[in-house]
Amino acid sequence: MRALFVFVGRRLARALVTVWLVSTVVFVVMRLSGDPVPLLLPPDAPRSEIFRVRAELGLDRPLPVQYGVFLANVARGDFGRSIHFREPAMRVVWGYLPATLELGLTAFGLAVLVAVPVGLLSAVRRNSLVDHATMGLALVGQSAPTFFLGILFILLFSLKAGLLPTSGRGGAAHLVLPALTLGAFAMASVARLTRSAVLEVLGADFVRTARAKGLAERVVVVKHTLKNAALPIVTITGLQLGTLLGGAVVTETVFAWPGIGRLAIQSIYNRDYPIVQCVVFLSALVFIVVNFCLDLVYGLVDPRARPR
Amino acid sequence: MSDVTRREMLKGAAALGAAATVPHGLAAPAAAQTTRKRELVVAQGGDISKFDPHFSTSSNDIRVSFNLFDNLVARHPDGKLHPALATEWKLQGPTTWVFKIRQGVRWHNGDPFSSADAAFSLSRTWDPAVRTRVNTVFTTIDRIEAPDAATLVIHTKKPDPLLPARLAFYGGQIVPKKYLEAAGGDAFNAKPVGTGPVRFVSWTKDDKIVLEANGDYWGGKPDFDRMIVRAIPELAPRIAALLKGEVDIITQLPPDHGDRVNANPSTRVVGALYAGLYVLAVNSKVPPLDNPLVKQALSLAVDRELIVKELWRGRGIVPSGPVARGDNHFDTALPALAYNPRAARERLKKAGYRGEEIVIETTSGYTANDKPMSEAIQGMWRDVGVNARVEVLEYSVRAQKNRDRTFKGLWWSDPTSTLSDPDGMFWRLLSPGGPQDYWRHPRFDELGEAARFSVDEKFRGEAYREMTKIFLEHLPWIPVIQPYEDYGLQKHVEWTANPNQQFEIRRFNFRFRRA
Repeated sequence: MRALFVFVGRRLARALVTVWLVSTVVFVVMRLSGDPVPLLLPPDAPRSEIFRVRAELGLDRPLPVQYGVFLANVARGDFGRSIHFREPAMRVVWGYLPATLELGLTAFGLAVLVAVPVGLLSAVRRNSLVDHATMGLALVGQSAPTFFLGILFILLFSLKAGLLPTSGRGGAAHLVLPALTLGAFAMASVARLTRSAVLEVLGADFVRTARAKGLAERVVVVKHTLKNAALPIVTITGLQLGTLLGGAVVTETVFAWPGIGRLAIQSIYNRDYPIVQCVVFLSALVFIVVNFCLDLVYGLVDPRARPR
Repeated sequence: MSDVTRREMLKGAAALGAAATVPHGLAAPAAAQTTRKRELVVAQGGDISKFDPHFSTSSNDIRVSFNLFDNLVARHPDGKLHPALATEWKLQGPTTWVFKIRQGVRWHNGDPFSSADAAFSLSRTWDPAVRTRVNTVFTTIDRIEAPDAATLVIHTKKPDPLLPARLAFYGGQIVPKKYLEAAGGDAFNAKPVGTGPVRFVSWTKDDKIVLEANGDYWGGKPDFDRMIVRAIPELAPRIAALLKGEVDIITQLPPDHGDRVNANPSTRVVGALYAGLYVLAVNSKVPPLDNPLVKQALSLAVDRELIVKELWRGRGIVPSGPVARGDNHFDTALPALAYNPRAARERLKKAGYRGEEIVIETTSGYTANDKPMSEAIQGMWRDVGVNARVEVLEYSVRAQKNRDRTFKGLWWSDPTSTLSDPDGMFWRLLSPGGPQDYWRHPRFDELGEAARFSVDEKFRGEAYREMTKIFLEHLPWIPVIQPYEDYGLQKHVEWTANPNQQFEIRRFNFRFRRA
């Protein structure tokens, strides 16, 4: 039990350092990228007006002072007021989270529920038609750019077939195309990795032993193979979850999906420092939490990975 | 669209409403398209950032705010000023304007509207405590009086012939005094209250804004119950949403997609000649662009007809100078800017041009066709021996350079004619201290200043004619095109676009075609 506390404590300390580093890098990079004020004012605004707004936003203070204020506020969970929306940044980002979670989790669900069985199947039926077809499809899913897939799906399923809405957020029908588009890459990589991991284990001695014992093939695959192949599969799905929840800029833009990826990219263009800092901070946090959970899952799946 | 000839284009913005943009073959079936819809769905290329009309001038924002709010004076698609919250106005003496305020109007929350709201709104724009983003719009106003609920008196510092025009554009939206003072700016921005034809219901950021028709609107209830404004940033899905019938109107339709929209049996393109120009603004301080002969050569080397035909599919006209067609004092006698590569070469020789590099700094997709036009013009300039180079900038970098006035050579500018007058167009940008102050000419400055503060339209006309002459010799801008602003519409929608990007949905310019 003590080992677990030490393990968790160490992870937490490391997580804090990571979050601090990420926040600092974003702070510096955003300030280097330019001034938000010209974007806020009409093009014929006089210079005096620009200086006034800079002062109003606290951008005229020395950078170390701005940084100190930023850190102190973040420690209290305050990311400042959005320059673009004139609202607290956290409240703005919070409003975008449900859409991102809905899309990210659906895409992730697809990746796990579809890709793992598919990968398993093509490994078991190696070199069969099923294997070639699914792996061919996976190759396309992994290599086709998201914007291309998204627009292709809109053309085929919305415009030609008239089955699904073209864009926007609404009921379940609105979710299908964006989730497929976003999940394509994750599905493809999980399926391919599952296949190769399972194939590797299928060739192992203990599988041969299991078969020699006369166990049913189903038992061999599910009980002996899948469990041993689980480690890399858990790793890649976990990483995919982090990526999917971090917001999907391209998918969200193509499907006019109101998620934090789109918010982040627009805020970068608008030089809306508080929003960008808040989004990046949360994304980093999601990654850290997911990684932490992964470590715990490792322990469950593989006794050797348990902290001693 | 391709069968619309240039001659038809030149008939002018007003005549060229919906009808001329529909290919003849499609005009007949269009009449058959009707709807029972009670909901109007509009898709634009980006979401709004705020509702408070005094805190934004971005085109996405004003497409919504001009419908939630009214101005004292309205500029209709015909380009003329019409009564809105003011029913009439007149000049009493050189610096005193008297406005008669519309009676019986109510705010969306039920409060009565009066001249006090109007006085409050206009003063709010420059109130240092409020810190609006439109505090430079009414700098000519000295003081405002509201002697009774039906009268508003505005005193200007000097004679201001364009005051009614200023009141019709951004900054001029009238906001509710009582509600704003009680609720505060943030609450007002979150739950806006106006007098316009639509009322605020809800806003899901980057998704949609829901508005409902204002049944008590003084201009008549619009022909729908609900209006939804969606943000669809990518062009392909925006067009797909129109073609599939999910939305009724899409904004920002580029010229090369018009054919697709017109070819679809249930949709069509509607446009208005943009109240403004697309110009290559010039940093006339850096050599060799400080030499007027070089700039004349650059202008002569641009084949604008070809640009209009190939890059804009005919959806634009060749400008004749710094005044946009449709504006006050547009000189119809002035010929379109000439294309003459031989003369261009001669002027370069006379100027002693020795291959110095000339840079076009372009954005990509900030204005329609900005990058393709830059590349085409680079080619045209190279053909006459100019060492031209194109650099692509991100929009925010451009905004920064605009502020710091650090452009290397030429850059795209799309000056909107905010007042339908040269004063709100080239003089707003090119005047001393203006955002594009890279060139000065004593006579040009003297005339611009005098025309701004004169109520004698004949004098103003002469001043702008002389300024145009000086402009064409020195070319602080190289005007390239006056394009059409196109929209995609379902055929069951009847709507007239406004040339100055003001997106108005009101009874006089919008209705659903009913069976």
